[in-house]
Amino acid sequence: MQQSAKECGKPLVRIRGLRFRRGERWIFDGLDIDIPRDRITAIMGPSGTGKTTLLKLIGGQLVPDEGTVEVDGQNVHALSTAELYRLRMRMGMLFQSGALLTDLSVFDNVAFPLREHTRLTESMIRKLVLLKLEAVGLRGARDLMPSQLSGGMARRVALARAIALDPMMIMYDEPFTGQDPISMGVLVQLIRQLNDAAHLTSILVSHDVAETLQIADQVYVISDGRVVESGSPEELGEGGSDWTRQFINGLPDGPVPFHYPAPALSDDLLEGARC
Amino acid sequence: MLNLFASLGAWGMASLTRLGRAHLLLFPLVRGLLDILRRPRLLVDQLFSVGVLTILIIAVAGLFVGMVLGLQGYNVLSRFGGETALGFMVAASLVRELGPVLTALLFAGRAGSALTAEIGLMKATEQLSGLEMMAVNPEHRVLAPRFFAGLISVPLLAAIFSCLGVLGGWMVGGGLLGVDQAAFWNGMQEGIDFHDDVINGVIKSVVFGFVCTWIAVFQGYDCVPTSEGVSRATTRTVVHSSLAVLGLDFVLTALMFG
Amino acid sequence: MDKKRQIEIWVGVFMAIGFAALFLLAMQISNLGTAYSGDTFRVVARFDNIGGLKVKAPVTIAGVEVGRVQAIRYDPDDFRAVVEMGIQAQYLGKIPDDSFAKILTAGLLGEQYVGIDPGGSEDALKDGSEIALTQSALVLEEVVGQFIFGKGQEGAGK
Repeated sequence: MQQSAKECGKPLVRIRGLRFRRGERWIFDGLDIDIPRDRITAIMGPSGTGKTTLLKLIGGQLVPDEGTVEVDGQNVHALSTAELYRLRMRMGMLFQSGALLTDLSVFDNVAFPLREHTRLTESMIRKLVLLKLEAVGLRGARDLMPSQLSGGMARRVALARAIALDPMMIMYDEPFTGQDPISMGVLVQLIRQLNDAAHLTSILVSHDVAETLQIADQVYVISDGRVVESGSPEELGEGGSDWTRQFINGLPDGPVPFHYPAPALSDDLLEGARC
Repeated sequence: MLNLFASLGAWGMASLTRLGRAHLLLFPLVRGLLDILRRPRLLVDQLFSVGVLTILIIAVAGLFVGMVLGLQGYNVLSRFGGETALGFMVAASLVRELGPVLTALLFAGRAGSALTAEIGLMKATEQLSGLEMMAVNPEHRVLAPRFFAGLISVPLLAAIFSCLGVLGGWMVGGGLLGVDQAAFWNGMQEGIDFHDDVINGVIKSVVFGFVCTWIAVFQGYDCVPTSEGVSRATTRTVVHSSLAVLGLDFVLTALMFG
Repeated sequence: MDKKRQIEIWVGVFMAIGFAALFLLAMQISNLGTAYSGDTFRVVARFDNIGGLKVKAPVTIAGVEVGRVQAIRYDPDDFRAVVEMGIQAQYLGKIPDDSFAKILTAGLLGEQYVGIDPGGSEDALKDGSEIALTQSALVLEEVVGQFIFGKGQEGAGK
C-alpha cells in the first residue's frame, strides 16, 4: 500500500483481508491488494489460484466470506443492486472467451452497451461503434457474426465492447491464453495503448509471464490464497523468492510441488486393497 | 443401509434447494416485464423463435391426431349406431385433453429444450456473466422475454392444435367415412360447452405453458456450465416438463371436470 | 433491417392465427355460437322424479329450445325435486300459466330434457312463477315393473 500511495494518490481498487471459500477450500485467505490508477497492474499466479474469481469479486458477481473490496471508494459488496449496476457501467471486463453475444453481429455487440445504457441516436451510436472498432483494428469486420471470428479477433471485439462506455477501468481475464504469437503481440500492444491513451486503469490477470511482465507497471503474485510477491517487473526479476523464480522460469518442481496434496502413495494403494 | 438413507437425504435436500431457487427466479422474471414493456422488441424476437418456429410441428401433429381420432371414434361409435356423435367425441377429446396436453409435450420437446440449450450455452460461454458485467441483468434481459414468449405461445398453439384436429376429424369422418356433415357439426356444438370445455382447456394450456417455459428457462439458467451440464439440463427440461404436464393435467381435470 | 421486419411479420401472422383459432373454438366448435346467452326469466317446476335430468338440459316447446335448466334441488318438505329453468326473455308473457311440464328423453338412450305443452289460460308465466302441472321422468325399472305386474294380474285373472 505504501508503495502505490507513493506512486499516485489513492488506489482505485483496495482489497483488504479478503477471504473466499469454495466448498471446503479457501481460495483466498487474507488477501490485500491495491490497484493504482492509470496503471496496468498484473495479478499472476499458477492456474487454480482463483485469479478469475478475484475479478468476479471485484466486479461484485461473487460475494466474499470476509474482507472488503473497495472500488473508487465504494465498498462493492455493500452496494444496492442499482448502485452496483451503476458502478459496473464504469468497469469493463474482458472475458477469457470474449463472451460476445452470439446472436448479434460484431457491430451490434459493440453497440449493445451503448443501446442499453444511453439514449444516443442511432447515427451517434454508429459513429462511436466504428471508432471503437477502429481502435482495435476491426472496423472492416463489423458485419461478421461472432462465430465467424477467430479467437483473437473475438477478444478484440470484446475489448471494443468493454471500452464502449469509456469505463474507468478494465479487467482482463487471461487475455493471452490460447493465442498465436501474432494476435498475442496485437493484444499486448492494444492493452498498453488503450491504457495510456484513455487513462484507464487496467487489471490484468494472467499466467503468461513474458507478455505480462512486458506491459505491467506493477505485479502481484498470488499463491495459496495470499500475495507472495509484489513490485515492479524489474524488482520481481532481480530479487524474489525460490517460489517466484520457479514461477517465472517455469520449473516443473520446486516450492510448488508437482503433486496435488494427497496421502502417501503407498497408503492410498493399501487402503484400496483393504476395502 | 445408512449410506442409502444419507444419499436419499442428500438427494432430497438438493432437490428442495433447486425447487427453492426455481421459485426465487419467478420474481426477477415478473420484474422483467418492465423491461419488456419498455422494449417490446425483446418479446417479439422470442415469440418468433419460441412460437412461430413451433407452429409447423403443432399443425401437422394436430391434423393427424384429429384424423386418428376420427377413424378410431368412428369404429367404436358405429357399433352402437352413434356415428353422429363423432363430432362431439373428436372435439371433446381435443379441446379438453389432447389439445393442451399434446401441445405442451411437443412444445417442451421443440421449444423448451432449445430454450434450455440456448440459455445453458450462454452461461457456459460467459455471455450471461458478460451481460452482468455490462450492468445488464440477464434475468430481465435474457430469461424474462423467453418466459413470457412461452407463456403467450402455448395457449395459442394449443388452440391451433385443437382447431386443426377438429378439421382432421371432420376430413376423415365427414369426407372419408360418410358421417352426416350437419350431425357432425351440430353434435359438436351441442356437446361442447364454452365455459366448461373451451375456457377450461385454455386455462389448462396457460398453466402448461407457464410450467414448461419456467422449467426450461430455469434449467438453462441453473445448469452446470459445461457441455455435459447443458446436455443434462436439456434432458431434464424435457423429462420434467412432460411429467409436470401429465401430473398437472390429472389435477386440473379432477378440479374442473371431477 | 429486412430480417427484423420478416420476424415482425411472422410473429404477427402467428398471433393472428392463434387468436383466430381461439375464436373458432369459441364460435364454431362450442355452443357459444348457437346458445342463447341473452336475458332469461326464471320459471320453477316440481317433479316427483326427475330421472337423469341434468343442469343445462334444454327446455323445449313443440321441440324448439326456449331455455335451459339452471338448477335442480330437492325440497325435503314435500319430497319433490325443484327444477329451475331459465326461459329466454322474448317468451316472457307468451307461455300460458297452466302449461304442462314433462321430462322427456331424446331417443332411446339420449339425454333427458324438459318439454312444455302450452295450456289454454289467458294468463301467462311470469318471472319466478311455478308450473303446477308436471309429469315425472319415466324410470326404466318402474316401467318394466308395471309391465310385469300388469301381466301377473292378467294371469291371475284367468
